[in-house]
Amino acid sequence: MSEIPFKNPGWAGNVGEYDLTEEQVRGIDFVGIRPLEGGHPGGSPTYPYMLEEKDPDAPLFEGPYAIRFEKMLTRYPTKQAALLPALNLAQEIRGHVSAETMDRVGSLLGLSSAFVRGVATFYTMYNKRPVGRHFVQVCTNISCNLSGAEDVLDAFLEHTKSEIGETSANGAFTVIEAECLAGCGFPTCVQINSRYYENVTVDEVPRIIAHLRDNAAEAASPASEE
Amino acid sequence: MGYPYSHTSEVPIISEYFGDPEARTLDGWKARGGYQGLQKALEMSPDNVVELVKASGLRGRGGAGFPTGLKWSFMPKTKDKPHYLLCNADESEPGTFKDRELMRWVPHQLIEGCLIGAYAMGAEHVYIYCRGEFFEATQVLAKAVEDAYEAGIIGDDVLGSGKKIEVTVHAGAGAYICGEETGLMSSLEGDRGEPRVKPPFPAAVGAFGMPTTINNVETLAVIPHIIKNGGEWYRQWGSDKSPGTKLFCVSGHVNRPGNYELPLGFPLKDLIYDVCGGMIGDRALKAVIPGGSSVPLLSAEEAENCALCYEGVVEAGSMLGCASVIVMDETTDIVHQVTRMASFYAHESCGQCTPCREGTAWVTTILQRIEDGRGTEDDLDTLVELTEQMTGTTICVLSDSVAAPVQSSIEKFRGEYLALIRRGERVGAA
Repeated sequence: MSEIPFKNPGWAGNVGEYDLTEEQVRGIDFVGIRPLEGGHPGGSPTYPYMLEEKDPDAPLFEGPYAIRFEKMLTRYPTKQAALLPALNLAQEIRGHVSAETMDRVGSLLGLSSAFVRGVATFYTMYNKRPVGRHFVQVCTNISCNLSGAEDVLDAFLEHTKSEIGETSANGAFTVIEAECLAGCGFPTCVQINSRYYENVTVDEVPRIIAHLRDNAAEAASPASEE
Repeated sequence: MGYPYSHTSEVPIISEYFGDPEARTLDGWKARGGYQGLQKALEMSPDNVVELVKASGLRGRGGAGFPTGLKWSFMPKTKDKPHYLLCNADESEPGTFKDRELMRWVPHQLIEGCLIGAYAMGAEHVYIYCRGEFFEATQVLAKAVEDAYEAGIIGDDVLGSGKKIEVTVHAGAGAYICGEETGLMSSLEGDRGEPRVKPPFPAAVGAFGMPTTINNVETLAVIPHIIKNGGEWYRQWGSDKSPGTKLFCVSGHVNRPGNYELPLGFPLKDLIYDVCGGMIGDRALKAVIPGGSSVPLLSAEEAENCALCYEGVVEAGSMLGCASVIVMDETTDIVHQVTRMASFYAHESCGQCTPCREGTAWVTTILQRIEDGRGTEDDLDTLVELTEQMTGTTICVLSDSVAAPVQSSIEKFRGEYLALIRRGERVGAA
């Protein structure tokens, strides 16, 4: 992708004084592709991706994920401390954290189901039910709100033909209202899966959605499956 | 330099390499003077490092402004159990967006600060608790940590000193309350992020029951520069009580929002009209929140002579917090914005303390009623009374945080509430 698809591909490059590519701003060229087994244990508790491919029935903690899980356990003095990273990892694989997933993680860490459910439901980022292929979180907190975030949220709902918090009929989009995403200087800030889109205006919403659909179609077409 | 804009008034110390992708890499950071501070610190005794930080007068950049050197000195000197240093990178105060920039542009600067802190306090493990939403920033940081391990900067033998320090990047899962230091410890331990009663203070009983110190990203990022250049050097900026520079996160109705590193004590007026290029469309200023959404609003008159340092903002009637300046112009519907803020706190209340759990929900309900045009004048008194009961009655200050904008907005913009209640008139509705 040589051409920048948006004037703001995840940063405020359109208005700033820096001449940078999208990769440079987002640090992609620096990070490269992180291995599923998590690289060095010091970074293993972070998850590399919020994947577009969400498989609710995927096996948990097998293959490279088992290695990452083991690495995480080495980083904390107690097993319980690995609970959040383990749930993160489960969500990376399955796209959401079901009750069954919570029980499984609990049994691996020697924690009761009740405790794990108490923790998992405390945190906003664990999706308790499946979400769409593109999980769109629109910040409507104060700084974005001052710049018209509610209109951006409405535009996302309108163009994806979905209700807030509900997945669109084709399973492609779930749009939710998010609390401050710490991109206040670049309003409106929208997070779609793991990526930030900043300086989003109402006019750009159709383009962003079309871009996501194109990418998805490309990935699904037989030509790219080879 | 500020990102995405810079300004000649800036004093770029920690933000010098924002927008410079080279500075992310280990070699790039070394070429820019990186890890010299750590080298120097390792040649000093840990006590002398703490004394040097004390001498610089650096105050914690997370919001409370507690002197960092003093905090470090609370850690037990004798070591009969593990010590931990936690870096609070759970940036989620509405209006704040500095830590993400610090992590994604200059990750090694933060790692260097963490290592110096760990050395000074005898901590063998540093946990950098990152906000769960920061996928990109945590990946950059995690990569930098891996590179530093490989180069022998982190690990069993830090820069050949024989010291063993581990660093782990830990991702949270989206809870504002985990930015509170004891809530962060609970969360790190794998529990709900519920704040704990103090005392015992973290320096005595912290994460995993061990002596722990928690510092903000910005605090730790400036440490290498202080060690390298000395405490007096840092004191050349700012005031006696608030030395040094600070990243100001400006958002809202200004022409050039962004991060700007300025000496503390910088006039708020100049920040808005000079550094940030003035108000959008030259509209009039209505209110400013100087320190993130949990501090009282300042009216335009109060903002006029406000100096942006810890004591200056208190004098003006608010708090500096983490210097997240949210600027609102005359078209702003204050009632709507305060309602939005209140609903944020209602969502993020951890639910431990009754005044907060019930209070935030009721404040939001009443404000929404007013916004829907079903409010009464009595509601304003109820809100004031309610928020008074929410102040100072809970374990952490989340409850106080909702009281601040509600009370200050009713006090300073009562007319706007009344116009909505009495006549259904709303600012910016046209």
